[in-house]
Amino acid sequence: MPLTLEIVTPEGKAYTGEVDDVVLPTANGEVDILPGHQPMLTIIEPGEIQATTGGSREYLAVDKGFARIQNDVVSVLSDGAINVQEIDLNFVEDARARAEDALAKARAEGHDPAMIEQLESVARFAMTQLLVKSKKH
Amino acid sequence: MPSTKEIRGRIKAVKNTGQITRAMQLVAASKMKRAQDDAISSRPYAMLLAEILESVADQETEFHHPLLEGREINKRGILVISSDKGLCGGLNANLFKEIVKIKEPVAYVSIGRKATQFLSRTHRDLRADFSLSDKVAYHEIRGVVEFMLQLYYDGEIDTIEVLHSRFVNTLAQEPALVRLAPMDQLREQLDRLRKREKLELAETSADEREFLFEPSAAKILHELPNLFIKEEILHMALESKASEHSARMVAMKAATDNSKNLVDDLTLDYNKARQAAITQEIVEIAAAAAQ
Repeated sequence: MPLTLEIVTPEGKAYTGEVDDVVLPTANGEVDILPGHQPMLTIIEPGEIQATTGGSREYLAVDKGFARIQNDVVSVLSDGAINVQEIDLNFVEDARARAEDALAKARAEGHDPAMIEQLESVARFAMTQLLVKSKKH
Repeated sequence: MPSTKEIRGRIKAVKNTGQITRAMQLVAASKMKRAQDDAISSRPYAMLLAEILESVADQETEFHHPLLEGREINKRGILVISSDKGLCGGLNANLFKEIVKIKEPVAYVSIGRKATQFLSRTHRDLRADFSLSDKVAYHEIRGVVEFMLQLYYDGEIDTIEVLHSRFVNTLAQEPALVRLAPMDQLREQLDRLRKREKLELAETSADEREFLFEPSAAKILHELPNLFIKEEILHMALESKASEHSARMVAMKAATDNSKNLVDDLTLDYNKARQAAITQEIVEIAAAAAQ
């Protein structure tokens, strides 16, 4: 029986589908989940999720969040997620540079924390995407 | 009877007003669609978050979190979410009627200019005033949530409640007061949420085996309640936006219809006045010729 993987972000569902096994980037390192896994709750670190279906692999970059494994359903709750195939390197690099610029400026001028948090999350997620994309493919 | 010139002037003015209200109606309609979509797309996230919170809270009874424990309520903390602008029918007035019914002592926090105005004019204990852009983003909520949590942790307020306009449908919005903290009745809150969201996640049947927590339940539980409150407030803000735009669309539609009726009535008056003037002139000419 295959696993059901769903990745949920505040903007909506980023991924739903059946997979044979999935590797999650958790706070304790990478964890490979196979069907029949014990129910588990874990903290997700920014990184990549590898989903294998019938020999083909999919890579998804995720931001920080939580994951729940219950009855062969893997639910990932994350601030952001994107399929590696859809990552446009130039676009991401631009986004990251812009976010870091703005962040440095904001810190120097002492802007409000909400703004800084948003910029940080943009920069962090862009960085994750870059790392994941540059590693392979 | 006013002169034809005066009536012409009024017809023109009413037509112009009608055009403006029609434009506002169209703008509100498109914004409403977006606000509704936003509110719907954040639903699975809310649901999954609530379920995770439930599983941790079930397993880990030893752990204490200030948000999960009941406490004696001396002063309530209420966040009022209103619109920034008027011209949206009775939307804000209905919220304010609810505020009048609430028994003191209450500390208020407001989102939206209308709520700020009302609370300060009626000399209520307004602690802070936040504003949101039209596109309610996740990070915009952070300031409000941190502020209220800080008051809660400091013991300044003993509940976190939100008064917002619940979106029933395009024609109906109702004020709703929802309590978020303390979460001593977590189960009830989650049931309410489940009813609201009508479950859109992949089904999971109960699993008897023991839950594994990595790195530890305490660590996971530490962050979750705050995240849950943040998410809930975001949802209510999105819903309030959807309500605001619907209410405005309906109000502006009524105004456009009224202006059309008014123009019809005025045109009738204008024609009557014009005919009366012509008749008068003919009578005068005839009278002059007869002499």
